[in-house]
Amino acid sequence: MADATDKPNLLPALAIAAGLALAAAQWFVWVYAPIEATMGLVQKIFYPHIAMAWWCLISFFVVFVASVAYLLRRSPGADRLAGAAAEVGVLFAGLTLILGSTWGKAAWGVWWTWDPRLTTTLVMWFVYCGYLVLRASGLGRERGPMVCAVVGVVAFLDVPLVFLSARMWRSIHPAVFKREGGGLEPEMLAAMFACLIAFGLLWLVLVGLRLRLSRAEDRASALASGRAPR
Amino acid sequence: MNASTYLMAANAAVWIGVAGYVAWLATRQRRLERRLKQLEITGVGR
Repeated sequence: MADATDKPNLLPALAIAAGLALAAAQWFVWVYAPIEATMGLVQKIFYPHIAMAWWCLISFFVVFVASVAYLLRRSPGADRLAGAAAEVGVLFAGLTLILGSTWGKAAWGVWWTWDPRLTTTLVMWFVYCGYLVLRASGLGRERGPMVCAVVGVVAFLDVPLVFLSARMWRSIHPAVFKREGGGLEPEMLAAMFACLIAFGLLWLVLVGLRLRLSRAEDRASALASGRAPR
Repeated sequence: MNASTYLMAANAAVWIGVAGYVAWLATRQRRLERRLKQLEITGVGR
């Protein structure tokens, strides 16, 4: 049975591109980028940490945009995109916290501190975990996506706070991108951008896989209840 | 734990996390495809 949308499947090509980019990023991190003078080898946690942090913030921005799109147009595709982006965002945010915590233990001697950047990031992670629990709670076919879309818009309020926290408040978390140029060596900047691109492609693949699953879930639900799929 | 151990632990966490999520998606997709086949064969909803 032909799929009604019949769009070309880009996922396999994206997955291959992501795999190659991740392999290249590993070379940049472990071979090309120099060992940092003060922190030594453990500083290399920085590269996947910042890539995952950026992509989790972008993910939550996608949740916000998709939620607004759902509120304006009631598009099932926008609702599915919001759910997929939220799930991948929560994964990336969780891994960012784990990486940051490990780096903190190595650099500061503590696994956790109630620093503004860390605290706002943890709050953001809990908020979006709550969003995912809400999505899974079965509020109904019409009401559920509407409620989730409103929460998806409101939840985004914490995201700019996370981004600006290291600048606005006294924080031990480094603000990497400063007006004065960031303080990174060119090789380190190259490794950082390689990781950003690689994890960006990985993000696309994961969101694509999750969207495919969501479409199949909607189709199964529609078939089971004898109505047209959304 | 020395610096290398922390680094390896952090790397392992990333790949275990990503691989775990992909494995979870794959398992759910397989179950759903089986369910869809059953629904289409039994003609439910037609």
